Amino acid sequence: MALREPAWRVTARELETSLEEEKGEGERAASYLLSPFAARMNRVLITGTLSPAEPIGRDESQPFWRSRLTDPTGAVAVTAGSFQPRAMAQLRSSPAPRPAIVVGKVHLYRGRDGVGYVSVRAEAVRFVAETEERAVLADIVRQTLDRVDLVERIEKVPATGEASLVAEGIPRGWIRAARESLQRYPNVDRAAFRRDLRPALRRVAGDSGPVATAPLPPATVSVTRAPPSPPPPPPPTAAERAEESMFLDHLDEIAEVSADGYADLKELLARVATEGLLGDRAEAVLSRLEEEGVVEEPIVGKLRRA
Amino acid sequence: MTAEAPTTAVPEVRLRDLRPTVSPVEVVGRVVSFDRREIVRKSDGSRRPLLSGLLSDGTATVRFSWWDPPREGIERGTILRAVGVEVREFRGRPELTFTWRTRVGPAGPAELPRVDADELPFRTVRGLAAPDEGFRIEARVVRIGSRTVTVGEERRVVHEGLVGDRTGVIALSSWADFGLAAGEAVRISGGYVRSFRSRPQLVLDERSAVVRIDGGDLPDPAEFLRSPPRTIAAIEDEGGGEAITVEGIVVGLLPPSGLVYRCPTCQRTVKNGICRVHGQVEGRADLRARLVLDDGTGALTINAGRADTERLWGATLEEARRRLREEPDPSLLEESILETLLGRRLRVRGAGTKDDFGVTVSPESIETVEVDLEAAAAELASRFSEGR
Repeated sequence: MALREPAWRVTARELETSLEEEKGEGERAASYLLSPFAARMNRVLITGTLSPAEPIGRDESQPFWRSRLTDPTGAVAVTAGSFQPRAMAQLRSSPAPRPAIVVGKVHLYRGRDGVGYVSVRAEAVRFVAETEERAVLADIVRQTLDRVDLVERIEKVPATGEASLVAEGIPRGWIRAARESLQRYPNVDRAAFRRDLRPALRRVAGDSGPVATAPLPPATVSVTRAPPSPPPPPPPTAAERAEESMFLDHLDEIAEVSADGYADLKELLARVATEGLLGDRAEAVLSRLEEEGVVEEPIVGKLRRA
Repeated sequence: MTAEAPTTAVPEVRLRDLRPTVSPVEVVGRVVSFDRREIVRKSDGSRRPLLSGLLSDGTATVRFSWWDPPREGIERGTILRAVGVEVREFRGRPELTFTWRTRVGPAGPAELPRVDADELPFRTVRGLAAPDEGFRIEARVVRIGSRTVTVGEERRVVHEGLVGDRTGVIALSSWADFGLAAGEAVRISGGYVRSFRSRPQLVLDERSAVVRIDGGDLPDPAEFLRSPPRTIAAIEDEGGGEAITVEGIVVGLLPPSGLVYRCPTCQRTVKNGICRVHGQVEGRADLRARLVLDDGTGALTINAGRADTERLWGATLEEARRRLREEPDPSLLEESILETLLGRRLRVRGAGTKDDFGVTVSPESIETVEVDLEAAAAELASRFSEGR
């Protein structure tokens, strides 16, 4: 019996830490992305600031758009193609970063270097008021904490019977996911993950949007693409040219030593940050270079010279 | 016992007391349903007639198989006395076999075992499942109504509603009028449980008995319909429920939603002007929304009718028709409904039934839930400060 897959309430941080898959066998079987925190995801519900979408892929008959959803814990790519026409129209409709709710299917892409990138193929997107975003985020944080608690409980007492947990109202799907998490991610720092959730709590309590306040966790950079510049673009200044050249130098250096010939976006942003090119400004440089056709991002999070 | 005593020394047992270790036996029972077949023997291809079905004596219902039965004289409701019946166990339930040694004859209702209501075991509502019978329950009538149905040639009144105790709620269908009223506490005996749309239903008839009781320990009638929400996963597990409450977020909309046309006779949706039952009809316009509600543990479908759809969407049926005249693309209406409702938090009460696609709820009420952000933040903050 194929029941509809539930939409797991997850943060971008949890998606970033999810690297294990369960491939469905047989015809039309669902595949799942397993997180270290008792989520066995096929479908997810996420919320945050959605950046304006950009087209990817060259085939005009197969349009595909991508934008980035940033929540207080991290960021994740949100895509939509011609098989999700409504979601794609929504993604394309927004000229500036806005709070949104996204329901979609998770995808794990593994690069040639074995690094995994999670993206969400949107099924439905709605731009919402900030209070609605915070309400959904509250739901996400609550269920995430519930799941982490469950993993810890089962780790402490592995013999805990499923029946007694179900009697408490814990869904069977969560129990199964928690056991899988313990098996697949034996050494996960759950305390650190709880700390990563704190900014989300502050957001629920009313702090301003994640773009302004999100601290930069060591492995993650909050990324928000700048809105497309109005035509005609002003000619870049000398300072901007210098930044671009520094940016490209680092890109080349990383690409040269990487296994797949691409420069990892996170690594690159971390490097240029050490030279004083931070956050939004680094993003602006990247979008400029992409617009000018110097740099392209054929894979989410992977850059190369065009 | 009857006047003509059985000639063989087999014990007469009530169907509830059948044990595979005590065989053969003598039983008296009413034929509830039956079927005639012919079994082809593999070795020589010979055919042997078989009549099989369900036999009930008011204490239990069991399957029976009758080899070489009489050609006629067996009907639904016929009461039989059978002496020398073999008892076997199949999947944990006793079954009866009438063999060439079994002597079967007609019997009268007076010969059925006297079922004394006082000795029937008490059961709770949650524990009831088809084909239970021979039990007593104490429950409160949550609601009750009556309607007239046609059974064969006959018009009969059936009293339908819900009864419940502390453990749950079950649908009730009574063919006899016990004068039930909502809110009453009753002790019911002599009913049986059947499966209706994959949910258990308690059926009462002339042989059932209803006694009013004080019922001080039974919940308030309103409490049944105001139960706190449960997880969708639990409701999927239980296959739905008569009075369920769920709370979740709208994550999708299923077709057909928006402006639909219904058959004026049977209310089914009309496709291309054709009703599945009544053929070509003039469809009547209606508004509906099939919402996918998801609480993170599971998802179910809410079949919202016109009033709920108008209220949640904020546009009336007339408004929808006007928009369709201006922009003759019905999918725009659907899109507009989803655009309004996606991500909205709803609390829904109603009856849920489950099929291969999951649970579908016919809502009695749909409320929009406003999240108290301050309270939510405080609650979450306390969980962070627990020092884990």
